[in-house]
Amino acid sequence: MNAVTTPLVVVALAAALSVSGCSSMEVNSYAGPRRLETPARTYDWGQAVVQPTGDPRLDNNEFFEARVRAAVERQLTKRGWRKTSEAPAVLVHYHASVVQDLMFVGAETATGVCTDCKPEVYDSGTLLIDIVRAGDEQLMWRGWAKGNVSGLVDNQKWLDERVDRAVTQIFTRWPATF
Amino acid sequence: MYRLLLVAATVCAVVGGGCAAAINVSSHQAPALDWSGYRTFEWAAPDALPEVDPRLDANPVFGDRMHGAVASGLVERGWTQAAPTTADVQIHYHANVTTRLDVSRIDQAYGSCPGGACSPQTADYEAGTLVLDFVDARTQRLIWRGWAEMGLQDLLHDPDRMAKIVNQAVTRMLQQLPSITANRSPR
Repeated sequence: MNAVTTPLVVVALAAALSVSGCSSMEVNSYAGPRRLETPARTYDWGQAVVQPTGDPRLDNNEFFEARVRAAVERQLTKRGWRKTSEAPAVLVHYHASVVQDLMFVGAETATGVCTDCKPEVYDSGTLLIDIVRAGDEQLMWRGWAKGNVSGLVDNQKWLDERVDRAVTQIFTRWPATF
Repeated sequence: MYRLLLVAATVCAVVGGGCAAAINVSSHQAPALDWSGYRTFEWAAPDALPEVDPRLDANPVFGDRMHGAVASGLVERGWTQAAPTTADVQIHYHANVTTRLDVSRIDQAYGSCPGGACSPQTADYEAGTLVLDFVDARTQRLIWRGWAEMGLQDLLHDPDRMAKIVNQAVTRMLQQLPSITANRSPR
């Protein structure tokens, strides 16, 4: 295998693994101290803020945006929330970002010391979902998922699947009090 | 992916001649869309994102190359350029440049470490992404986005090479565009 095909295989394998269940995804959330002003479990999408994601392929990408929105709406519906444009209790915002990050690949010893480790650059993607109170736009809950997205954006099906999985994972941290 | 492109480009440079430019091409499209109703296109002003590199924004050489490559590629595929405001599809493009980090370039490019010096090397490089958007003129919804990614090296300072790369990139992007002539009965 020559020097060109080797990285091709590595990238293809990494992409395949990252889209499968093997890829690790860090999921977390933050719940603010504020409470809902109304018992109604209604929501709407907040005003979209146009800002770069860090990956030009995802900027203003309506297909990606639609996938995120559909996945979030499915999760909210599942939890008894109803979408409405008339006086919703909360507004939903989301933001996706991609930055380069470094990881070390190689044999790690039991002592935590890395031997023969090599640094690798990868694309780290974060999908963040904010729930804000509709009346005063105060943050009530923020959930996010972060993981390796190298090679994902090039394949629409893989990206869609990752979006669905990320949103599902984020909503596992949805507060019971909501 | 950028890293792969850079590696491939470096290998081409080291090995010498014969390598085509390392361009990664892919696309997204609206699901279950019937493309047979689209026949004509026109150019439209791009939206705010992706950000366009100031060196390429309103650059007539680059702009002319892009317009020419896209128009001729579409005509070959059965499209017709329409008078303004009458087209089925509006097209705009974005030429984005970002600085990316790479490590261990020498190791990866040669497949070995010269002189056994394998300590990681870091390098910044400019990565270019050409994004081509097709918007349904009636609904104003994006129906297709194609892109081409490449390591720029000195591309921006070499108009001839830039023209060649733009042609290659656009040709390959348009190969990903769904056909509008398939299953269409002759008029």
